Amino acid sequence: MTARVYITGVGVVSSIGLGKQAFYEALAAGRSGISAIASFDASKLGRSLGGEVKQFRAKDHLTAAEARRTGRASAMALAAARMAVADAKIADGDLRGPRTAVVIGTTMGEVDVLEILEDGWIRRGTNHVKSALIPKFASTLLPIHIARAFGAEGMQLTLPGACAAGNYAIGIAADLIRTGKADVVIAGATEILQELQYAGFVRLAAMATDRCQPFDKNRQGLIVGEGAGVVVLESEAHAVRRNANVVAEVGAIGITCDAYHITRPHPDATGSISAMRQAISRSGLTPADVDFVNAHGTGTKANDQAEAKVMHEVFGDRRVPISSMKSTIGHCMGAASALEAIGCVMTIETGIYPPTMGYETPDPECDIAVVANEARKGPHDVLLNNSLAFGGYNAVVCFAKPGRIDPSGFQGDA
Amino acid sequence: MKPRAITGCSVLSALGVGRETFERALRDPEAVATSAITTFDPSPYFAQGVPHVAEVPDFDPTQFLGDKGLRTLDRLTKLMVVSARLALGDAGLKKTGEGGAWGFAEGVDPTRVGVVCSNAYGSLEAITELDRVAKLEDARYINPAKFPNTVSNSASGYVSIWEDLRALNITVSDGNPGGLDGFAVADLMLATRRADAILVGGAEAMCEALFLAFAKLEAGPDHAKLAEAAVFLAVEPTAAAEARGAKVLGHIFGFGTAFEAPTSDVALFHASAAAVSRALRSALADAGIEAAAVGGVVSGIAGLPRFDEAEHDGITDVFGPSIAIERPKARFGETLGASGTLAVATALASPTSATFTAVVSVGYYGNVSAVIVRTA
Repeated sequence: MTARVYITGVGVVSSIGLGKQAFYEALAAGRSGISAIASFDASKLGRSLGGEVKQFRAKDHLTAAEARRTGRASAMALAAARMAVADAKIADGDLRGPRTAVVIGTTMGEVDVLEILEDGWIRRGTNHVKSALIPKFASTLLPIHIARAFGAEGMQLTLPGACAAGNYAIGIAADLIRTGKADVVIAGATEILQELQYAGFVRLAAMATDRCQPFDKNRQGLIVGEGAGVVVLESEAHAVRRNANVVAEVGAIGITCDAYHITRPHPDATGSISAMRQAISRSGLTPADVDFVNAHGTGTKANDQAEAKVMHEVFGDRRVPISSMKSTIGHCMGAASALEAIGCVMTIETGIYPPTMGYETPDPECDIAVVANEARKGPHDVLLNNSLAFGGYNAVVCFAKPGRIDPSGFQGDA
Repeated sequence: MKPRAITGCSVLSALGVGRETFERALRDPEAVATSAITTFDPSPYFAQGVPHVAEVPDFDPTQFLGDKGLRTLDRLTKLMVVSARLALGDAGLKKTGEGGAWGFAEGVDPTRVGVVCSNAYGSLEAITELDRVAKLEDARYINPAKFPNTVSNSASGYVSIWEDLRALNITVSDGNPGGLDGFAVADLMLATRRADAILVGGAEAMCEALFLAFAKLEAGPDHAKLAEAAVFLAVEPTAAAEARGAKVLGHIFGFGTAFEAPTSDVALFHASAAAVSRALRSALADAGIEAAAVGGVVSGIAGLPRFDEAEHDGITDVFGPSIAIERPKARFGETLGASGTLAVATALASPTSATFTAVVSVGYYGNVSAVIVRTA
């Protein structure tokens, strides 16, 4: 078993910036990416705000042919992948062949393509369905567009893991390397802001009107966002062979299902607690080793309470710093935990904990050590990226400074 | 891959419900999926002939699940939950106890049983239903109880909720090969001891949007009927299955995958014999066996000439021109994300004289996956 898996490059498409540097700077500054939505009229839903990526134009990052054959979700994922590969400084030929895999998570995939198709059909009839667009809708294509760009011929995996999809993709990609199925995996997740999804969260009474305030007593809910986060994962042998710049190590993914409710987390958070404990112990660590938790932190009552319970159960009296990026970029659904994984990489690289903005009134039911309103520095050897999702999905991935994971914790080869 | 024991099987297909019905259909050469459309009004399409689709006939989830809690579930979810329940029962992981209560068998820990399920277009019915409300009335009026069904992993999540399966739950959306990729993901989860048993499945439900998409793409008159299915196999480490005295239907012995991009920069659809051959050889290598040990291939051949030709040529490149090639889609229809799992169930139910059967599935976009099944 190849024990160590390294991150050697990251790529970001987000509402607070394109590319690692812009993203890191904005995140550390607590700069908000929430703005008035331009792509559809949200006013009839009594809302106007979203974490829309306004500065992204596919043609700035993709070839003309790539831009033609992709929807927005794929285009953002491919752009992020291209940034990640450039960041990893991998030579073109190094990704060609069957030892490179691509794993991409999402919630709804190319739903903008479907929106166009259904608009023609529902409003005007079957003759107005644009046949040429139909093949572009399949979620299967999310990794395939990336594989085509880099000549990857290994496993192409699309994981619709809802709001935990990014953690699913990165955690399972790391396992592919660890079990010898691949040397390099381009992994991450992508999601677009779209009217139906937006309306759904409004109808679920989960959407805030003006801002997302995770863990605050007066929090009103989430604000939907969009984006893509992609990382390059390499086996230790591959990274050493090409003398790669290793920015972080990926530990284990803890993964469970609540089997309780399709949208609400289990009130006792038993599945989430188990997932977090798995991520720690399978990385050969103990709760005492964890320096910081990048929260799921949606800003909904149920999520934040459940997450606070997890922190108390896993860490006891130890008040481990925790922060939610969703206060600045919104809830990017399938892409959320991929972007938050890159937030973890930032913390490992810089020591900066990104702030939870809008945190004003502590909630006794969320009595945890929130990094409030201002970034700060702290110990940054071992981090956890927490995620919960529709379907009762719980996934936690451990990230650490290179060499900090204890490979004896992996329980492979059964 | 270490051999993984298959200890339970459930098939809901256009030829009926349940493993025995499925096996009977396989033995009956006259059994072919027929078009009895209940999921949408086919009359607008009659001018072009009867829509070329096939549903699970007379599907009534209340027979298996009772009549509570089904109102907001979409058809895919109901098919999957019923199929999962039958597979769990077939594997002896759950059973009906005293007083008629459905529960886990002694010694089975719900936190150690997981789900890995493939579907290609799982949320299409729900998205269309809500889109119709949003476009023809107003987005403010969409039903929030049905909103979760628009998320691709929702149906799989409901399987865990209904059956209280609390280990991992993973949805795979890799098109046709997804049903085989699910075995690779499940193997990863078993190898890393994240579960003791995993329901590995594939499912696809019929809806008008899915039919319309394929009709618009003009697959051609020889293309298999677009059909629905929900298939689950219970997969366990061999030693664990033996330890609990489970019956073993066969083993997943190896997995291989390949991807080849189209040569044209603008093309999306693509299939190549070379990729099929590479996926099969990779599966053989993973299983540690020679091609000569394989007695037959269960293919995904579906009546699309370009794809069928690539698949056939790739298969014969590996196994020679005289290898027996099964074409289950000719009878069960094109079940997309369910087709890979259905093909493995076909391999289990129709063993050849050799120990091993290969199963291959070709995607529309250059992706191919293969597994080796030990049937003896």
